[in-house]
Amino acid sequence: MVTNMLRRHVLGLGSLLLGALTLGGWTVSRNGKNPLVLSARDDSNGKHYAVGYRLDGTQVFATEVGQRCHDVVEHPSEPIALFVARRPGTESYLIDLRDGRLLQTVKSQPNRHFYGHGVFHKSGEWLYTTDNDTTDPGRGLLTVYRYENGQLHHSGELSTHGLGPHQVSWMPDGETFVIANGGIRTEAESRKEMNLHAMEPSLVLLKRDGTLISKETLSQPMNSVRHLAIASDGTIVAGQQFMGDAHEPAELLAIKRPGQPFQAFPLEAEQRDAMAHYTASVAVHNDLRLVALTAPRGNRFFIWDLDTGAVRLDAPLPDCAGVGAVKDGFVVTSGQGRCRLYDCRSASISAQPLDLPAGLWDNHLHLKLA
Amino acid sequence: MLGKKMFAKNKFRTKLLFTSIAALALGACSPADQQAEISTALAKQVILPTYSRWVEADRALAASALAFCSGKADLEKARADFLAAQKAWAELQPLMIGPLAEGNRAWQVQFWPDKKDLVGRQVEQLVKAQPNIDATTLAKSSVVVQGLSAYEYILYDSKLDLANAETKARYCPLLEAIGQRQQSLAEEILGRWNNKDGMVEQLSKFPNQRYADSHEAIAELLRVQVTSLDSLKKKLGAPLGRQTKNLPQPFQAEGWRSNTSLKAIGASLASAETLWQGVDNHGIRGLLPAEQKDLAAKIDAAYGESKRQLAALDRPLTELLADEAGRKALNDFYDSLNVVHRLHESELAKALNIQLGFNANDGD
Repeated sequence: MVTNMLRRHVLGLGSLLLGALTLGGWTVSRNGKNPLVLSARDDSNGKHYAVGYRLDGTQVFATEVGQRCHDVVEHPSEPIALFVARRPGTESYLIDLRDGRLLQTVKSQPNRHFYGHGVFHKSGEWLYTTDNDTTDPGRGLLTVYRYENGQLHHSGELSTHGLGPHQVSWMPDGETFVIANGGIRTEAESRKEMNLHAMEPSLVLLKRDGTLISKETLSQPMNSVRHLAIASDGTIVAGQQFMGDAHEPAELLAIKRPGQPFQAFPLEAEQRDAMAHYTASVAVHNDLRLVALTAPRGNRFFIWDLDTGAVRLDAPLPDCAGVGAVKDGFVVTSGQGRCRLYDCRSASISAQPLDLPAGLWDNHLHLKLA
Repeated sequence: MLGKKMFAKNKFRTKLLFTSIAALALGACSPADQQAEISTALAKQVILPTYSRWVEADRALAASALAFCSGKADLEKARADFLAAQKAWAELQPLMIGPLAEGNRAWQVQFWPDKKDLVGRQVEQLVKAQPNIDATTLAKSSVVVQGLSAYEYILYDSKLDLANAETKARYCPLLEAIGQRQQSLAEEILGRWNNKDGMVEQLSKFPNQRYADSHEAIAELLRVQVTSLDSLKKKLGAPLGRQTKNLPQPFQAEGWRSNTSLKAIGASLASAETLWQGVDNHGIRGLLPAEQKDLAAKIDAAYGESKRQLAALDRPLTELLADEAGRKALNDFYDSLNVVHRLHESELAKALNIQLGFNANDGD
């Protein structure tokens, strides 16, 4: 049954190579567009960059920044984005996406540091980042910034109603936060977990004024809820990192369908066990109703049907990192090897290596579909 | 319909055009050729033979369990066959690329680290709950009891007296089941190497569904080697108590019941060196350009030093852990392993333009 459900489809030898060479023209001719891949990336000397590349490999910018970043938060209408510091970083960078110019270095408030994620409100006037209150290590905050005259100004804080928040996203209304509270306490300038045996991970829905709507948990306290993708119908998908024993099965992908509780996504043991207890990024493809997940420690990339839960792809991809949806499928970056495009339009999913620089991509990418 | 057909035709033409360009581009690119050559050589001359030896050792193990349990072979013979399987497994450690590294399969062969003695406890639970267990049922049981660690417990744990017929009868169904389980697991993995589109092909012909180019294959070979060198340090560091305020923890050693910890580390280290050297210098070493010969010599010397340190450990691990001189010798060996590991992880990776586990080891 497992093998029947599992469909591993990849292109033959020749077309894999051809895909790489024809991709630029193919993307332009098929879509009339060539999305901009935004991500944090390092060079081999350990220097940190905020980068923007066209999918065909053209570099738009690579701006050196002082601290390693994680996710990228695009403004809803202006060509700017905030490259958010990875925990426990204290500097995020507001970048002009046309030329990579650094517009502003946003420093975290005293006794606060960034957790790597944030969101812009659809009005373009407000930005929220997940932050750590290091006076009560792990106490989760959404730090509020007002965007005015091309600059971000600190404006206040909201509680995430949980510990160690990681990714924050919007529900489709653009007014309700979805927050992955990882449940782990860490101190300033540290990535060391302080409470592995008293973790409190949760998925929180919050109104924009800070009113708590719901707070839900999975069955395992040591399963840190970290990454999110929200479908246009309001389905929430969450990727976990399990901190318990290496041989214990964990609910590494979870789902909250509209009107239903937050619960484990029905993974087959074969896929679950291949994740090495660590997921990096999740993405949803709204038109194709697919969910994609990167597992860099398991060196595997997965795609499932969002509605039936059927496995569509279970493929090796060393140190796979960020994933994002494009018109025909998913783009995936890697910390080690080349980036790939997975064309998901037909029953058999085909992979094409991209002409983007190989390796050193951080765990998230953001696609600007210009 | 017509439009769709025409599109398909145009697409086909485009692909044909690019085929010739691709052929030209590849022809001009000799480093890629060299990487493909080395990757192919390592797959066929080093890795595949090691997997084949593992299958042979597990076939012998399965037969050995049957012979021991039916009284045709004695405990000494059963233990010798176990040690051979353990050694074959240790030699695979730096070569854990592809199917064996995926889907938790390695746990099914060996359960380590085992901080809470789950092996002992779960074997005891299992022989009570399922006295007539077979390989099929075992495959669905906890990974803790499926592999060599449980096998070792049965043959070596001091609480079990296999000379007692009743005791032997109680553990034999599990012993036989593990033997069969390991044999079929090893055969399945070897199949995944030899099949069409299997690992041997994927390490030889590029691009393929696993690797976009030969550089990705070389990068992954180095990555698994570095991971394994790091885990050798952990295997030695755990009993030395390097993570526990230098309080020795002899029961945290791999293979402490059979006293095979140091032998296993030695077998893995020797195997890592074959990946580095290759046959006729068709190993990772062969990829270093002439101007990097100092680095090559440094890595050669580091392996040599580490082997010398290991050879100098002339007492069992538990004895070495018990006195100052023994612990110093073990720590010196650890330091020599660390040199080998760091050289691969930093200088060698840099020289080969390989990025190792940027997110996997330090993600978020």
